[in-house]
Amino acid sequence: MAVSSHELIAGFTDPVQASQQVFRAALKVMSEPGTLVDVDYVEEAPKGLDQSTWQLTLSLLDPDTRVWLSPTLAANDAVISNLRFHCQCPLVENHGEADFAIALHSELPLLAELNWGSAEYPDRSTTLMVQVPALSAEPFWTLSGPGIEHTRSLRIAGLPDAFRAELIKSRQRFPLGIDTFWCCGNQLTALPRTTAIEPLNTAQEAC
Amino acid sequence: MSTATGYNFAYLDEQSKRMIRRAILKGVAIPGYQVPFGGREMPLPHGWGTGGMQVTASVIGEADKLKVIDQGADDTTNAVSIRRFFAHTAGVETTEQTAEATLIQTRHRIPERPLQADQILIYQVPIPEPLRFIEPRESETRKMHALSEYGAMQVKLYEDVARFGHIATSYDYPVMVNNRYMMDPSPIPKFDNPKMSMMPALQLFGAGFEKRIYAVPPFTQVESLDFDDHPFEVQSWDEACAICGSDHSFLDEVITDDNGSKMFVCSDTDYCRERVEQGFVGTAADLPIAEVGTN
Amino acid sequence: MYVAVKGGEKAIDNAHALMRTQRRGDSAIAELSVDQIRQQLPLAVDRVMNEGSVYDPELAALALKQASGDAVEAIFLLRAYRTTLPRFGYSEPLDTEQMQIERRISGTFKDMPGGQILGSTYDYTHRLLDFSLLAAGEAEVAPEEANALSEALAAGNSCPRVLELLNKEGLIEQSREAGTPDEVPRDLTREPVNYPAERAVRLQNLIRGDEGFLLSLSYASMRGYGDSHPFSGEMRTGRVSVELVPEELGFPIEVGEVLLTESEMVNQFHGSKELPPQFTRGYGIAFGRAERKAMSVALVERALRAEELGEEVLYPTQDQEFVLSHTDCVSANGFVSHLKLPHYVDFQSELEMIRRLRKEQVQRTESTTKEEADA
Repeated sequence: MAVSSHELIAGFTDPVQASQQVFRAALKVMSEPGTLVDVDYVEEAPKGLDQSTWQLTLSLLDPDTRVWLSPTLAANDAVISNLRFHCQCPLVENHGEADFAIALHSELPLLAELNWGSAEYPDRSTTLMVQVPALSAEPFWTLSGPGIEHTRSLRIAGLPDAFRAELIKSRQRFPLGIDTFWCCGNQLTALPRTTAIEPLNTAQEAC
Repeated sequence: MSTATGYNFAYLDEQSKRMIRRAILKGVAIPGYQVPFGGREMPLPHGWGTGGMQVTASVIGEADKLKVIDQGADDTTNAVSIRRFFAHTAGVETTEQTAEATLIQTRHRIPERPLQADQILIYQVPIPEPLRFIEPRESETRKMHALSEYGAMQVKLYEDVARFGHIATSYDYPVMVNNRYMMDPSPIPKFDNPKMSMMPALQLFGAGFEKRIYAVPPFTQVESLDFDDHPFEVQSWDEACAICGSDHSFLDEVITDDNGSKMFVCSDTDYCRERVEQGFVGTAADLPIAEVGTN
Repeated sequence: MYVAVKGGEKAIDNAHALMRTQRRGDSAIAELSVDQIRQQLPLAVDRVMNEGSVYDPELAALALKQASGDAVEAIFLLRAYRTTLPRFGYSEPLDTEQMQIERRISGTFKDMPGGQILGSTYDYTHRLLDFSLLAAGEAEVAPEEANALSEALAAGNSCPRVLELLNKEGLIEQSREAGTPDEVPRDLTREPVNYPAERAVRLQNLIRGDEGFLLSLSYASMRGYGDSHPFSGEMRTGRVSVELVPEELGFPIEVGEVLLTESEMVNQFHGSKELPPQFTRGYGIAFGRAERKAMSVALVERALRAEELGEEVLYPTQDQEFVLSHTDCVSANGFVSHLKLPHYVDFQSELEMIRRLRKEQVQRTESTTKEEADA
């Protein structure tokens, strides 16, 4: 699909400073997993992308990053045209080849099928960005690990049970793993592969 | 912003910054693991802080307040040179006060004043591989990290114990991060090692000519290697700082005359200043202080 | 009196002012211009371009002037400038067979199509100081016929590569299997080197490597530390055009030309179960008139192929990690010279450690002596 110019929107007004600010937000949430931050450096996002997702892509993606989009996003002309135009990132069909995978919460790929990196180069793994219906600090998941002094609470709405189970279990393969950003509106958080996730209880996990 | 230098904000072009930023994020996600990155040439020599500078250039923004120290001091020539570089290319505010800095680039020390959440400490690293002097080959050390095969380091430290009755490594003392990766803390004195563990600030490490970035997120376990019967211990001095009287900071030894007389002063100049302002005094506080290096 | 090390800012300013004065030298002597350096010290300029990795004689000459003639410092200046340059595109592979040759030497055949062309060279000069240059006399210029011959050659047809003549008989390995397309080489200035590195990456590394280091390594490899005593199949110098395919045109256009020196070495290879005995290649190329550099690259390059050719890796010259990690003069110079930076803290740590160890040893000796006395 080529770039449709009528779908193009403006990116950052001040790309140098805004990219840096969004990166610092990403760094904050990746180094303090489960912390919620707001990013607010764009007027609008392409239809189908949340503003936080859009800002992350503007800040982190470029011709050197291979990007996979979940089916609805991959079929969205506005998303594709703007990613191509602003980031010039190559889009790949196979999520196993992606440096970054961007998915809607209802279209998550199997974690096992993403690139987990290798024992010698665990950094070569896919980073997953997921757009979800709600993020909050309500008690739901109890997080612990590097970046968390004691524990931290995080609730991510709308995740399929199977995916949650797979994510929690994926910690066993450390140092291999998938690092994740979670986006909702202007909100952003992250769960790197080091974060242990403890569901509050089985009943609540199901809700 | 005084960035009228013909270069991009903070010198590096945006694509290079993005590449480094992605490497930093991976480093944070895998604490203590060395992420290879496409290190750029910097206008300072390798080994003079180019790795730390590339990290700083990728992290810094207009709102930051930058402090640069070398040997704990803000006024050593290389610290001055790097601080000026960013004041010039990024137009950011600089400071000598640990408490008010948002970013601190350092060579060989961790400030004495405990760092806080949302501060970032950026270390300049000459040789990032803790196993390098045991095994010079990158292809081999990479395997050792992959398999957590760190026995060779234990053997090396134990040889010290056998020969000297101590582990004789006094700086660049290897640590285990989050119980998984052996990491080189950069050539800080082992005195500073305990500060790394569970530090509320984020710690980033940049090695320019070895092209590696690594990280320790806030509140992460960092343990110095040791043995049950030879526990890790830090340096101590019989003397106190001659200026501020501190008996708990890392001290520099200064030779004061041709007969080798000496005195000890805080290596962290900002910490020393802070204490003097608070009214602490050392034995040499009334001595006249001259400046050298101003020829 | 206690001496605090203060005033770093002022000291740096003063040091740089002194350096500028020293660089200018005696102001009664005319100042050297960048053009003079470019025209009259072209071999120094070529070295700076090679290791600086930028083909720009003017900037290389400027760097030499700014660096007081210190090649390593000048290379560093050019490198640091290079990093900040935007990339407009990537050229098509250069075709050195189409080189407008000004000099071409083969050590393997007395004569061949295109012939031997001695061109301009320091070879065969007797290294006797020419005191007429000291007397500020005009340098002797080449006779008319030498100039005319050189121009005729440059304008004449390009000549085939000597190694391709061997290739026709199958006596030398193919550079690549027939029918394999051009591969886009990795760019070592954008990505870190991973070991084992492929040949294109090794060559990039060597070409920007320190000339002295490579010269010594190749010398060592010829003396037996690397099993490399080849023949110089061909060494050629001349201009080659650089072509680029602009997106909007879709066909190559010439954007300029570069002066290059190319060296191809012929090495022995005893064959293996699959391959009959044949010659193997070592390749080197460099900007400008840089024969020593091109030949050194070709020799070290061949030594580093040991592993892929199934030869035993016995010497540092054959060891990729050893060679490739240490070729860069900017890195090497930075790391060696960083010892000039303060190391007070680490040294203090060592002092504390050594004093403690000595104290403990004295205590141990004393207690042993006491025990012995008690016994």
